[in-house]
Amino acid sequence: MYGIIDCDNCYVSCERVFRPDLNGKPVVVLSNNDGCIVARSNEAKKLGIKAGLPYFKLQEQFPDQKIAVFSSNYELYGELTGRVVDIIRQEAPQYFRYSIDECFVYLDGMEHIDLKQWGENLHNRIKKSVGVPVSVGLAPNKTLAKVASHFAKKYSGYRHCCLIDSEEKRIKALKLFPVEDVWGIGRRYAAKLESMGIHTAFEFATMPKGIVNAKFNNVVIYRTWAELNGIDCVPNEAMAKKKSICTSRSFNGMISDLDALKVHVSNYASRCAEKLRQQNTVASIVGVFLNTNFFREDLPQYWQFKEVNLPTASNSSITIVHAANEILADIYKPGYKYKKAGVIVMGIAATSPIQLNLFDINAERFEKLKALDKVIDRINKVNGTETVILAAQQYRHKNEQGKADVFANAIKHDFRSKNPTTRWSDIIRLK
Amino acid sequence: MSKIHIIPSEFNKELELQLAYSIKAGFPSPAEDYQHDTLDFNRDLIKHPEATFYGRVDGDSMIEAGINDGDIAIIDRSVEASDGDVIVAFVNNEFTIKYLDLSHKSEGYIELRPANKKYHPIKINDSDEFEVWGVVVWTIRNWKK
Repeated sequence: MYGIIDCDNCYVSCERVFRPDLNGKPVVVLSNNDGCIVARSNEAKKLGIKAGLPYFKLQEQFPDQKIAVFSSNYELYGELTGRVVDIIRQEAPQYFRYSIDECFVYLDGMEHIDLKQWGENLHNRIKKSVGVPVSVGLAPNKTLAKVASHFAKKYSGYRHCCLIDSEEKRIKALKLFPVEDVWGIGRRYAAKLESMGIHTAFEFATMPKGIVNAKFNNVVIYRTWAELNGIDCVPNEAMAKKKSICTSRSFNGMISDLDALKVHVSNYASRCAEKLRQQNTVASIVGVFLNTNFFREDLPQYWQFKEVNLPTASNSSITIVHAANEILADIYKPGYKYKKAGVIVMGIAATSPIQLNLFDINAERFEKLKALDKVIDRINKVNGTETVILAAQQYRHKNEQGKADVFANAIKHDFRSKNPTTRWSDIIRLK
Repeated sequence: MSKIHIIPSEFNKELELQLAYSIKAGFPSPAEDYQHDTLDFNRDLIKHPEATFYGRVDGDSMIEAGINDGDIAIIDRSVEASDGDVIVAFVNNEFTIKYLDLSHKSEGYIELRPANKKYHPIKINDSDEFEVWGVVVWTIRNWKK
């Protein structure tokens, strides 16, 4: 039996832990740089606020509503969801964290206990200890567990835990479930299924295997189909480590200047390298994309993406930042106002058995970069993020003290909450 | 002919040595048999790390309980609050630290009692939406400035 545990409206719920006054009220959390809405409370959803709505449109469309707005505060969300995972680890024999707000568990050997009760108790413990509500979906495979979790979230009668453990329950659930919401069915495939007259998960699951393979010829779709039919076949290791890491952000305003873009891209690249090192992996492909503001139809539009293969797979900040900047210089076109850029690293593999390319056998340089990154990571861990950064990550213009402005200052976060769990200066005040 | 088995090596895991006492030729240290974990506040004061939060006392409402302005309170959300506990609650849009008085529960209300005659207890009726945010398990005060 598998379970998926995910935090309900995760970012909003994290903000509410230290703002109990916002329980039952509309709350939204904005993306990095306060660009658009990435999380909504149920009350905000009920008002008709759509995910992805640009912030400036929120004020236009809902002028009379009192809506609490937060900039995203990943320091807080990361800490609180880490506590959630700690509790899950204590309660489940095996777990794998899938994203910031989702965690799969594998419950083999627990068949003798009342799993529905187990799930409800897990919710209660997490809600009381951390203050964040979760939903628990339990089923014989991960795709069905995801279906169950939707029901646990949607209907309060389930008391935060839905268990699919019989044919009858499986069929009933799939008949009520839109195919576009099935885990593993992207928007593109959902559209294709819709055009074939397939609307519910049940209709998809009852398609003959031959037709699924003939129409899609895609292993992911096939596995999803098989899992909806009760077979356990989505591999677990696929979720252990990510296949690609992407760091991207919308700018605060628009940027035309190549040097300014380089600062941003360097930071994204550096962040990717850091993430690779955190999970002991290296990447062999670095990609960069760049686009103008699609909402500004009055401005000329441009979009470009390019990737390069690194001679030797790497997680060194210097190597990845260098590669990203070369791509940027290549795809950059002057005369456009850019709104967003991002760096993607792919071809991710474990660190240890790195294949050294015959034409890139500067082993000494390789070891030096590795040692340097280790020192930088250590300093930044002890003294706070971005204590030591590459010069490319810094803005050239000077601040009041005559020092170059660091990148962090260039991110807009007008409504950011405090960090009561990670900074002594921010712990709650008790009257 | 005997076969050679190739055993695939595991590169992904890093092993840490748990306790490596200095290796000496000669006599072992007589203290090694008496090794005991060092006292550790994180381990001994914080029973439920995933449910533990910190707060700073702001004001003198609990001064007669020995809780002063500026003290750090260690708050455990996972323990059930009982009558007489020092608790943290969210009342009138702020966090407050008070004694929990459940002695009037049968009469339909509870009280959050300050430990300072200057202040009045906060009365909370059954119908009020009220939740204990956490239970204060320790307070810490810095003496050496």
